[in-house]
Amino acid sequence: MGDIGRRGFVKGATFGALAFSVGGVEVLMTPHEARARNVPFRLLDGHQGETLEALGETLVPNAREAGIAHYIDQQLSVPAQESLLQARIFNFRPPFAEFYRKTIMTVDDGSRKLFGKEFAQLEAKDQREFVDRMRQNKVEDWKGRPAALAYAVLRADAVDVVYGTMEGYEALGIPYMAHIAPEKRW
Amino acid sequence: MATEKVDVVIVGAGASGSVYASVLARAGKKVVLLETGPDWELTDLISSEIWGRRIKPAGPPILLDGKNPVGYVAQAGWGSGGASLHYFANFPRLLPTDFRMKSEHGRGNDWPIAYEDVAPFYDKVAHEVGVSGDAKAEERWRPAGEAYPMPPTKTFRNGDIWLKAMEMSGLPLVPAPVGVNSVEFKGRPACLYDGWCHVGCPIGALANPQATFLGQARRAGAELRAFCTVTRVLTDQSGARVTGVEYYDDKHQKRTQEASVVILASWAAQNPRVLLNSASDKHPKGLSNASGLVGHFMMSHTVASTWALFDEDVQNHMGTVAVQYMSYQHYPKTSQKDAFGSTFWTAGFALKTADLANSRHDLFGAELDDYMKRAAHHLTGIKAFGEEVPTMENRVELVSDKDAFGMPLGKLTHTYPKDAVALWNANMEDGLKVAKAAGAKEAWVSRGVVPTAHLMGGTIMGTDPSNSVVNSYGQSHEIPNLWIAGPGIFPTEGASNPTYTVFALSQRGAEQMVMQWGALAN
Repeated sequence: MGDIGRRGFVKGATFGALAFSVGGVEVLMTPHEARARNVPFRLLDGHQGETLEALGETLVPNAREAGIAHYIDQQLSVPAQESLLQARIFNFRPPFAEFYRKTIMTVDDGSRKLFGKEFAQLEAKDQREFVDRMRQNKVEDWKGRPAALAYAVLRADAVDVVYGTMEGYEALGIPYMAHIAPEKRW
Repeated sequence: MATEKVDVVIVGAGASGSVYASVLARAGKKVVLLETGPDWELTDLISSEIWGRRIKPAGPPILLDGKNPVGYVAQAGWGSGGASLHYFANFPRLLPTDFRMKSEHGRGNDWPIAYEDVAPFYDKVAHEVGVSGDAKAEERWRPAGEAYPMPPTKTFRNGDIWLKAMEMSGLPLVPAPVGVNSVEFKGRPACLYDGWCHVGCPIGALANPQATFLGQARRAGAELRAFCTVTRVLTDQSGARVTGVEYYDDKHQKRTQEASVVILASWAAQNPRVLLNSASDKHPKGLSNASGLVGHFMMSHTVASTWALFDEDVQNHMGTVAVQYMSYQHYPKTSQKDAFGSTFWTAGFALKTADLANSRHDLFGAELDDYMKRAAHHLTGIKAFGEEVPTMENRVELVSDKDAFGMPLGKLTHTYPKDAVALWNANMEDGLKVAKAAGAKEAWVSRGVVPTAHLMGGTIMGTDPSNSVVNSYGQSHEIPNLWIAGPGIFPTEGASNPTYTVFALSQRGAEQMVMQWGALAN
């Protein structure tokens, strides 16, 4: 790749891991490691992170521990042309943060109407019912992009962090067989 | 700010632009490629679906509309190599019927050329880039041609498992032609069958432009300028000739590149956007658009996917993303009783974890996790690509919203005609019958959203300006030193993956340009 832009990509592309800020210093680590070390979010607030973790875990078991909220947060902080988020592939117009913020607000609105609580506070069975309604576009007064599209994007993000990594392949018993392996097992 | 005048400026360094750059640079022309994205090297291509997204566009210069919006970003390219840096390298060709749809069926368009005009260039490209396959086996459905330079690629159980059932269902399979090395070819290694083709093959076993035409072009002196976004094609005062392009460079500085010839090779949707944005007093509707046809007849392929779980381990992690087998049996456009259009059947392809998850969009939570564990070793599929008849309503147009350079965004409106949807449904019914015949433990089709694969049309070729934008070489009817390359010049799409035809038509156009250079460069 040419000089211009290479610096922007090299952080992640060469090492596989993402650049997280720890004590004002950028450290390369996986989202799982970032969550385990309680790295502060760059853009999300605590509630947004908690809601993304709850949505991710409902969509794909182990997405919370895999660091879905840290992954999305870190990716929202980089220029759109460096983003690895599924929103890119779904042809969303940057900044992608708008989609996540609005979706979290709409999910909480719908959750309060249906169950009287914000999504992250629901019991697992109610979280599951709500996500199933999203999948079928059956959440009343849903605002913004269709609920089924939000389901698809968030599910794809969760699939990425749980199944798309080298650990994810290993857990499923699938040989990864990389030509150029993402270091740090990404 | 103007730069030194060159012979040819090519807008876009993807599949078609790289062919033109190679042919023209090797013919001694001074060539500059302006590419809106980075200049990727093979060593940038990390084997990861997540990191593989870096080689696709981010953010829409093209807005999507219509009942069946095109999956634009998933298929578009960004940076050198374009979409063919992450293509699957399936190399089926169009068949004679595709060139005369209107004459034979009274629908769509005719091409101004016949299959026989393109066939020598299919053969030439096969030997240039390396194609593995069995031409003799294909010739049960198409006119004879040269043998491919390499034998077919290896097959795996995920493909072989379909052979008998497809035959029993009246859809006989033959080895698929692919732009992947089954043996070492021109110093490039044979494929390792690890299934990472779609995020970019870094070893040169797959015929992406970096490994083929783009390398040739560079060695012959072509210059590629990355992060350069072209906004307008410029004309002289009379409007009779183009003089170059206006673009924004990697520092977002506005520049002019003068050239004797301009080639637009920035894919089917971007080429119309640039032409429409180049309107002037002499060309009030945009360049090469006196007929009002620029941006129209956009086409995509439906994909009927049949998924099946088998008891045995089908080795679905092995192989290429390019298919192992194919069939033209339902290519005749009236093969299906209640639907019109060609169908191209394929079987046997490597799957990654995202593919496994995407094969059951409806599952989430524990059910998804359980499914992933079963699918990991037991899932495989067959796919049927279906044709849509070109219509004026499917189009690219400019909107008032603008990009970072002040250029109006394009809007791509796409709705499948009823026949295309009927063909998709008919193909899915066929797929389910095949899966049952194959003894699948579970089989299903992906209904709901009609998929869109590939993008063609928008600057179609034809006999004259009343029915088309360019001639059969891609030369503008109205401005002789303005050429357009890529799948945008297809007047019908057939059902075959388009890139082999893009390469062949580009080779044909580039050789013609060299032959008539004296008249062009005046």
